[in-house]
Amino acid sequence: MLIYGGLLVAAGLVQVAWLARVEISGAILDPLLPIAVAVGILRGAEAGGVTGLAAGLLQDLLGGGPLGVNGLTKMVVGFASGLFERSIYLENPLLPAVAAFAGTLLSEVLLLLLGQITGLGGPPAAWAPRMLTQAVINGALAPVLFRAIKGVEVRLARTR
Amino acid sequence: MRTDYEAGAAVTELLLGRRRIAAFLALFLFVVVLLTTQFRSSDQRAIGPLGTLILTALLPIQAGMVRVAESGESLWEQFTEIGRLRVENARLRAQVDTLSRETAALREQAASADRLERLLDLRERVAYRSVAARVISRDPGHWFGTLVVDRGRREGVDRNSPVVTPEGVVGRVIEVTPTASRILLIADSRSALGVLVQDSRAAGVVEGWGSGTLRLKYLSRAAALKPGDRVVTSGLGGVFPRGLVVGRIRSVTREEGALLQEAEVEPAAALDRLEEVLILLPRR
Repeated sequence: MLIYGGLLVAAGLVQVAWLARVEISGAILDPLLPIAVAVGILRGAEAGGVTGLAAGLLQDLLGGGPLGVNGLTKMVVGFASGLFERSIYLENPLLPAVAAFAGTLLSEVLLLLLGQITGLGGPPAAWAPRMLTQAVINGALAPVLFRAIKGVEVRLARTR
Repeated sequence: MRTDYEAGAAVTELLLGRRRIAAFLALFLFVVVLLTTQFRSSDQRAIGPLGTLILTALLPIQAGMVRVAESGESLWEQFTEIGRLRVENARLRAQVDTLSRETAALREQAASADRLERLLDLRERVAYRSVAARVISRDPGHWFGTLVVDRGRREGVDRNSPVVTPEGVVGRVIEVTPTASRILLIADSRSALGVLVQDSRAAGVVEGWGSGTLRLKYLSRAAALKPGDRVVTSGLGGVFPRGLVVGRIRSVTREEGALLQEAEVEPAAALDRLEEVLILLPRR
């Protein structure tokens, strides 16, 4: 678990310090979400949910917003990814991109709902283009992160 | 046996599903409670001692990473700035070249218009028919000897037609084709024309000296000449009409015992810089 904690912290710091500087149509690369999706798919719903929650809380902590906003959305996404653990073909090369794309859309919809409930979100119309861009760039980043998570899993399996 | 296995698997699946639901509900509840706490606080952010501890550990790392990013950005900005400046420099240089060309062309047009205006003025003053012509070539071997203009027999130009500019006499036509004419300049050593010194009315002959200047010969020794005196055509010889300016006396030579005196004359027309001339045509 320590290795996943380290990975999340590293990804969170990279996002806040470096990736946040590069905005693409209002969207910023979010490596924490594909990590939560990957862990969910590879290790199951509970692991995905916990990883998503930890990743989201870390993001909230480093980002300066209320704790739990990203924690809730990423937890749901990680958990939901884990529900497909047994029903998808893991070796499909498109899996990481498609899963991260769908996971990001789900996360963005949840953020939108949460924003509307708490009154923190902006007008929903402004979200649509950003949501799509966010999903595309996360989908593009996902194969690299999936490969890294798989590498971690293989290493963990060897040490067990 | 199989039935027992299947029943066992179903039970496991059921337990697994329940565990999942329980886990999800636990996590969900945790986050909802956390969120509620957050939104109840005054600034909607209460990270607690654990959050403070984590931030205390991570913020210095984050600050270091930000500094690295800023250095990288600064380097990148400098790098791209050089590229931008190069492009801007090339664009401005091209613009300067274009403007310089345009300025030169406009100056050329203005000078040409000025010359043509003075030529037109002369044309109105001279009691001759005339045709304006543009110099199209010069004799490369004898810079001050002959030149070719773009008007010929078709425009009425004839051999021995006088050629002038607003400043003074240029020469006479020695060859004519339908579309061009060759002019023998007064500075050519083959050229000779009858003149008068305007003030003293002393008559003489101006000959070319081959070096851009003229020699005024056959002047009476009694004639009072001085540098600066204007020399005009006498009208004798039947080529040049009377009264056209030829030039000004630069120096006078009186040789001991000689009956005549000579003078060096500076041509009034800039024979080495001619671009347009006026060819005087015979009266009809």
